[in-house]
Amino acid sequence: MVTSNNVHDPAGRSGLELPKSPTGITGFDEVSKGGLPTGRPTLVSGPPGAGKSLFALQFLVHGATGCAEPGVFLSFEGTRDKLASDVRGLGIDLDALEQEGRLLVDAQSMAGQAVATGEFDLEALMVRMAFAVDKIGAKRVAIDSLESLFAAFGSRPEVVRSELLRLFSWLEDRGLTAVITGERAEDTLIRHGMEEFLSDCVVLLDHRVVDEVATRRLRILKYRGSTHGRNEYPFLIGPAGLEVLPITSLGLYQQVSNDRLSTGITGLDEMLGGLGVFRGSSVLVSGTSGTGKTTIGASFASAACQRGERVLFFSFEESQSEILRNMASVSLDLAGWVDRGLLHFQCQRPTTLGLEDHLANMRRLVDRIAPTLVVIDPVSSLSRGTSKGDVSAMLTRQIYYLKSAGITAVMTSLTEGGNDLEHTELSISSLVDTWLLAITMQNSGERNRGLYVLKSRGMAHSNQIREFLLSSEGVSLVPVYMGPDGVLTGSARAAAEAAEADLGLGAEQESSQLTEAMDLRKKAVEKRVASTWAEFEAAESLTAQRITASKKRAEALRAARLEQARQRTDKPKDAQ
Amino acid sequence: MSSPAGVQARDEEPPNPGRLQLTLFVSGASPASSRAVRRLRDLCDQHFPSGYDLEIVDIYQQPEMVASRGVLAVPTLIKELPLPVRVLIGDFTDEARVLAALGLPHRRTAKS
Repeated sequence: MVTSNNVHDPAGRSGLELPKSPTGITGFDEVSKGGLPTGRPTLVSGPPGAGKSLFALQFLVHGATGCAEPGVFLSFEGTRDKLASDVRGLGIDLDALEQEGRLLVDAQSMAGQAVATGEFDLEALMVRMAFAVDKIGAKRVAIDSLESLFAAFGSRPEVVRSELLRLFSWLEDRGLTAVITGERAEDTLIRHGMEEFLSDCVVLLDHRVVDEVATRRLRILKYRGSTHGRNEYPFLIGPAGLEVLPITSLGLYQQVSNDRLSTGITGLDEMLGGLGVFRGSSVLVSGTSGTGKTTIGASFASAACQRGERVLFFSFEESQSEILRNMASVSLDLAGWVDRGLLHFQCQRPTTLGLEDHLANMRRLVDRIAPTLVVIDPVSSLSRGTSKGDVSAMLTRQIYYLKSAGITAVMTSLTEGGNDLEHTELSISSLVDTWLLAITMQNSGERNRGLYVLKSRGMAHSNQIREFLLSSEGVSLVPVYMGPDGVLTGSARAAAEAAEADLGLGAEQESSQLTEAMDLRKKAVEKRVASTWAEFEAAESLTAQRITASKKRAEALRAARLEQARQRTDKPKDAQ
Repeated sequence: MSSPAGVQARDEEPPNPGRLQLTLFVSGASPASSRAVRRLRDLCDQHFPSGYDLEIVDIYQQPEMVASRGVLAVPTLIKELPLPVRVLIGDFTDEARVLAALGLPHRRTAKS
């Protein structure tokens, strides 16, 4: 009963946590961290048709079938037969549960207004409750609803109020876990000022119709002594009754894959580190209309089918045959994959179902088809007929759901003209792992498609804007011309590229001339150096000659003196 | 189960459709209950001299009947016959409303 989920309970006081009774309502037990407070009354408040009675009944049925806690349902909202037939569609067999003594339904309609003739109290209500509780040994009770009681005894609301307080304290004394439903008034939780007495746990249900599409909401307003999810959670009434779709209770525990998937567009894979996106990640392709978003989605799908994987394609704007025809025009043969049973289309107008139903529908299909890739085209059209916050909440859940299942999600989103491109109206951009922005670039009387990777978590990715070419040969991405005049595409790119080539030629010539000039200068320098050397060498040899000559002279002088001396000492030959 | 105004099949012989048949739910023998019973009897004795049938149900003794008849308040008086079935709650201090609900025009009672 007590969950060990302490995500919202940093102090980790799990040991002191309140004992809780699970409701069996999908998602609610997560949001409430285990269910309703055991042995205490819980107020479930909301407008008519919000699902209060069903909430109460599911709580009892789960107690009876899942927790061995028999329950008593005291209803003033209609007869037992009507109730039984209402819930039969949800797979709840009241008759069987009653025969087994696990549930006791004491239901009546308060249609006939009684005539008040004086003082009275609601002792009979106490007696009925006590009788029913004792009869089956109930641990859970539900009273549906306070409004009916106040309506039936409208002449004396103060009596009803004090009698109900007596009933609630009796329930508490008996340790019964109770659900009490009440209608919500304009500015108070419920009418008649009962909320102050039912303050242990208050659950609000809401039922709004926005642009003809119904959406349901649940919020735990307070939960004394316990932590709980405080957000508004969408819920739906599906085949299994109430289903709360919590966002925040989704843990971020999904296993991640390092496996990379090709996007089906070579140039795009290159931009994404050469390998494509991570398996199980979510990819958002946003852009204004006509930027090729669906084509990118279809490329992803086609690439997955080529790998032999199953793909589920949700289309909210085009029919299957439209998509097949349009994609065939860019050489994406999706029909073949459909025939081979790898590609499944689910085409539906967004307004045919409420948002929660779309989500439930998507989940059912995902469970049935077990795809490895899901394309949602476009997610933005889901916001038609509902508020944007709802869609982003729904998408958040969808993204996490797909992630936890390891399914790659490719979503396209239409950005309305005039809006900032790097801004998704549905505020899901922070949730996606890879965000591709498809843009149009206009100049020279042309409109060309461009694509860039706004972000891609966990991988090196290109910062380039590439031109996105759609032709009968297929889909490709080519680098765009980035020049002093900005990004050029199409024929402007071609022209600019040619101009650049011309310019390149000129530069080549100039550089060869410069090289030549420099060569000449070098030669001149070399010549000068050579002549200086020659001068030096000449001077050097002259000096050497002089030295030799002077040495010779000195030698000759000495020899001459010796000869003189020898002549004088021998005999004088000639008289002088 | 039935609505508070639901007609319950009677075991007894088909009663005289004109004769007043009443079922009164009270909580045990509390002073308030005794007072209500006494007040109802006085009223009926006074205004229905031709006679009436009054069944008194103690909610503590017959809780199942309380549920089956859809009784929540005490005292609750159900006028079974003559039709239409009417449900009265309270201790009969508002005589005029009691008599009107039981099918007796107020002005006639004022005369007597």
